[in-house]
Amino acid sequence: MRRAGPALADALVLLALAAYAVPFFWQLLTSLKPEAELLRLPPLLPSRLTLEHYRVVLAQSLIPQALWNSLGIAALTTLLALALGLPAAYALARLAVPGTRALLLVIVASTAFPQIATVSPLYLLLRALALRDTWTGLVLVHASFALPLTIWLLAGFIREIPIETDEAAAVDGAGWLAAVRWVLLPLLAPGLASAALLTFLFSWNEFLFAYTFTASEASRTIPVALALFPGVYEVPWGDIAAASMLASLPPVLIVVGLQRFLVSGLLAGAVKD
Amino acid sequence: MPRPRRPAARAILLLAATLALAGCADGPARETPVTLVLKYARILGPDDPFPPLLREFEAAHPGVRVRGEALPWSSDEQHQFYVINLEGRSPGFDVMMLDVIWVPEFARAGWLLDLTPHLAADELAPFFPSTVEAATYARRIWALPWNMNVGLLYYRRDLLAKYALAPPETWDELVRQVGVIRAGERDATLDGYLFQGKQYEGMVVNVLEVFWAGGTRLLAEDGALFPEPERAAEALAFLRGLIERGVSPPWTTAADEELSRRAFGDGHAIFLRNWPYALDLFEAADSPVRGRVDIAPLPRRAGGARGAGSTGGAHLGVSRGSRHPELAVMLARFLTSERAEKRMALAALSPTRTALYDDPDLVRRRPALPRIRALMLAGRPRPVTPYYLLLSATLQPEFSAALAGVKPARRAIADGRARLDHFLGALR
Amino acid sequence: MTARPRADRRLGLALLAPTLAALGVLTVFPGVWVLWLSLQHRVPIFGVARFAGLDNYAFLAVDPRFWSAALTTALFTVASVALELALGLGVALALARQRRGRRLALSLLLLAWAMPAVVTAKLFEWLYHPAAGLINVALGGRALNWLGDPRLALAAVVLADVWRAMPFVALLCYARLLAIPAELYEAAQVDGAGRLATLGRITLPLLARILLLALLFRTLAALRAFDIMFVLTGGGPAGATETLTVYAYRSLFQMLQLGFGAALGVVVFVLVMAVAWAYLRLGRAAAPAG
Repeated sequence: MRRAGPALADALVLLALAAYAVPFFWQLLTSLKPEAELLRLPPLLPSRLTLEHYRVVLAQSLIPQALWNSLGIAALTTLLALALGLPAAYALARLAVPGTRALLLVIVASTAFPQIATVSPLYLLLRALALRDTWTGLVLVHASFALPLTIWLLAGFIREIPIETDEAAAVDGAGWLAAVRWVLLPLLAPGLASAALLTFLFSWNEFLFAYTFTASEASRTIPVALALFPGVYEVPWGDIAAASMLASLPPVLIVVGLQRFLVSGLLAGAVKD
Repeated sequence: MPRPRRPAARAILLLAATLALAGCADGPARETPVTLVLKYARILGPDDPFPPLLREFEAAHPGVRVRGEALPWSSDEQHQFYVINLEGRSPGFDVMMLDVIWVPEFARAGWLLDLTPHLAADELAPFFPSTVEAATYARRIWALPWNMNVGLLYYRRDLLAKYALAPPETWDELVRQVGVIRAGERDATLDGYLFQGKQYEGMVVNVLEVFWAGGTRLLAEDGALFPEPERAAEALAFLRGLIERGVSPPWTTAADEELSRRAFGDGHAIFLRNWPYALDLFEAADSPVRGRVDIAPLPRRAGGARGAGSTGGAHLGVSRGSRHPELAVMLARFLTSERAEKRMALAALSPTRTALYDDPDLVRRRPALPRIRALMLAGRPRPVTPYYLLLSATLQPEFSAALAGVKPARRAIADGRARLDHFLGALR
Repeated sequence: MTARPRADRRLGLALLAPTLAALGVLTVFPGVWVLWLSLQHRVPIFGVARFAGLDNYAFLAVDPRFWSAALTTALFTVASVALELALGLGVALALARQRRGRRLALSLLLLAWAMPAVVTAKLFEWLYHPAAGLINVALGGRALNWLGDPRLALAAVVLADVWRAMPFVALLCYARLLAIPAELYEAAQVDGAGRLATLGRITLPLLARILLLALLFRTLAALRAFDIMFVLTGGGPAGATETLTVYAYRSLFQMLQLGFGAALGVVVFVLVMAVAWAYLRLGRAAAPAG
C-alpha cells in the first residue's frame, strides 16, 4: 500500500495537469469537429473527425501568409537580438566598462516600459521612416523590446563561466576573439539557445505592436491574423480553432521538444538576482 | 591592439544582409503586369460571388490582375485597419470597401480619390438617393454605392397569425403582442424581441433607430449634440426597459447580428431587428423557421415616425495613393455596374441600384425585394459627418452602460455629451 | 583581466554601442516622446497638432471612464496575481514531490503559458460561449452570459489570464523548491515535525524571496496586460473589462486622439515604474533580514 502511494500521487498530479490543459485540447477537438456538430452540445465528442476546417484555413484564408510572416519576423528578431545582445552581454560581464551597474539598471528598467506608452511614438516614428507594414519595422521594434532580457540572460550565463577559461585560452596563444569563438561560445551554447528560444517565442506571440504596425498580408503576423479572422456576419468557430492550433505549433514544439532550454532560460532570467 | 577583424566584419555583413532580405521579402508587387488590390469583407465558403467577378474584370483588361484581400469582420476593426493604414504613405491597396459612415471622414482626411471628374453626368441616377448623399462631401463624390442595408423588423408570421395580430405599428403594441403570444404559447424559451446590444457600432444603430422612432436624434442640423436630451434619455431607458422587463433576453448585451439572428432562426423568438441579409438564411432549406418569417417596418413611439430604419451598407472608394487610379476607378465602376450588382444580389447582398429590385430573376429568388426597397426608401442614414466615428466610439460605452443597467440612461446621455464636447472641442 | 584596462574599455564601449543605439532610438526616445505627445492635442485625421499643456491630464482627473478603467485595472491585477501566486505555489509543491513523469507534467503545464495570448483569448471565447461553451455545459447547462454580463465579464477575463500565467509562477517556485537541500527536511522529520509545520517553518520562508519576485513580475505584467481583454471582450460589456491599457489603445487608434491616448499611456508608465520602485525599496529593506 505504501509503495503504491507515491505512484498514485504521481498519476493524480499528471491527471490534474492534463485537466488543466483541457482548454487547449478542447480547442484541438473543436478544430476537428464537423461544422454541423459544433454548436450542439452535448454530445461532447464528435461523431467523426474532419480536416475540413484546416482545409478552409489553409486554402482560403490569409493564415498561411501570416504564419510565414511570423516565422520570418521571429527568426530575424532572434538573430538581431542575439547579434546585438551577445557583444553587449560580453562587454558588461567581462570587460570593465565604466558604469556597468548603472547601464544594467537602465537596461533592466527598460523592460518595464509598458508597450501602451511607447506604441504611439513608435507609430509616428515608423510612419516617418515608411517602415509601417514591413518586416523590417516590426523586427526592429521586437528586437529592441527583447534586447534587455537577452542581455540580462546572456550576461548571467557568461558570468557563470569562470574567467579562468578565457585566460587559459589566451595563455595558449589564441587571440581574444579566437578565445571567444572557440572556447566561450561553445560553453555558452545552452545559454544562447535559451535566449534564442525566449526571444523567438516573444516575437511569435507579440500582439500589440504587431496589430498596430502591420496592415496587410505583407507583414501581418499570426496573432493579428487570428484576432482579425474574417467572416461576414458569422463566427466560424471551427476555422478559428484550426487557425489557433496552427498558431500554437511553434510554441508547442518548443515546450515539448526544447523544454530544457526554455525552462533554463525562464529560470535564469528570474532567479539570477 | 590588432585584433582579427574578419569575424566581426563578417557578422556585420551577415546582419546587414538579413535585414536587407527582410526589406525585400515584403517588397511591392512587380510593376508589370499591373496588380490592383481590392480590400473587402470576404465571405468564407462556397457562396463568395467576388472571385468570378474579379476574374471577369481581368479577362476584360489583359495585363491587369486583381487581388482581393479580406478585411477583418467587424466594422470597428475594419475602420481601425484603414485608419492605421491610410495614415501612412502608400497604403498598398487601390480599391476599398467602405462602410457608408466612413466616407465623409475619409474624404475629409484626404485618403479618397475625388471621383467627380471620372463620372458621367447622371451616372449616379440609378442609385438610391440616400446612398449618393452618403457618398457626397463638400459637394464632390468620393465613393460609389455598392451594397445596401436597412434596419427592419422580422416577425414570426405564424405566431402573429395564430393570435390574429398584425405587425405592430408602435413599440407599446409590440410589447403587448409579446405578452399575449408568450402567455398563449407558454414556452419559457420563447424570447420576445431580439436586438443588438453588444458594445459596438451595431448597437449604436439600434439606439439611433429608437431615437428616431421617438422623434429625436443625435445631431441637429446646426451640429448641436442631443438637441432633445430628455427624449433621448427616455428612448434609451425604453431599450433598457425591454431587457429589464424580460421582453428581450439578458444576453442581448452580448448580442451582435449573428447571435440574434441564430436565436431567431432557431425559432426561439417572436421579433427580431436585423438587416435584410438574414431573410435569405431564414428561408434556407434547412431553416427551422422557413416560410414562417416576414418583414415589416420598425415600430414607432409616441411622437415619432414609423419605419425609420437605419440605412447602411458599403461603398467602394479609390485610394488617393493608388498607383493606377484610372484602372482602379474602372474596377470600382465595374463592381457597381448592373451586372455585378445583380450577381451580388443573387448571393444575398442587397444592391444599391433601385431598378434591380424589380428584376424578375432576382424577385423570383428573393420575393421580398420590392418591399425591402420600400423600406430602404423610407430609411434614414446615420449622421453624415466626418466626426461620426468619433461620436460612435465615444458614445458606445455610454449606451452600453445604460443597456446593461450599469448607469441610468439620463446620466449616460449627459456623460456622453460632456465627453463629446471635450473631444470635439479639441478638434477646433 | 586588468592587464589592458583602457583597451578593454574601448572594446567594451564598441561592443555596447549598437545595443545602446538601438535601445536609445526605439525604447528611450519613444519613452520621452510620449510625454511630449501627452501635452498636445494631436488628431492626425483632422490635421490637428497643437500644444495643450496639461489639458489632457486635467480632463483625465475628472473623467469617470478613466477612474472606472483604473479601478478595473486594480481589480484585475489584484485578483489575477493573488490567484496565480496561490495556485502556482500549490502546483509547485505538488510537482516537487513528483517522482515520475516530470517532463510530461511540465509540458502539460507550460502549454498554457507558451502560446500567444490571442490564442488563449480565442480558446476561452469558445469555452465561454453561452450555448456551446464547455464551461456552461460543465456547469449543468446553465446559459451564463460570461462575456456579456458586466458582473461576470471581469471574472471571465481574470480566469483566462490566470490560466495562462500560473505556469510561470509554478515554474519559478518549483525550481526554488528543487534547490532546497534534502537535509533540511530530513532534520525536520527527525525532530518530529508534521507536514504542515514543515511547510510553514521551512518551505515558505525559503520561498519568500522567489514569491516576492513572482509577485513583482506578475504585478507588472498584469498592470500592462492588453492582449487578453482586448481580444476577448474589447473592453466591454459596458466597460466592465476596460483596463487603462485598453482605454488608452482605443483612444489612440479608434478615436485617433493621439495626445489623449499618450497621456493615458504615461499614466500606465508611471504606475508601472512606481510599483517597480516600491518593490526595489521593499527588497532592499528586507535584504538585511533575509
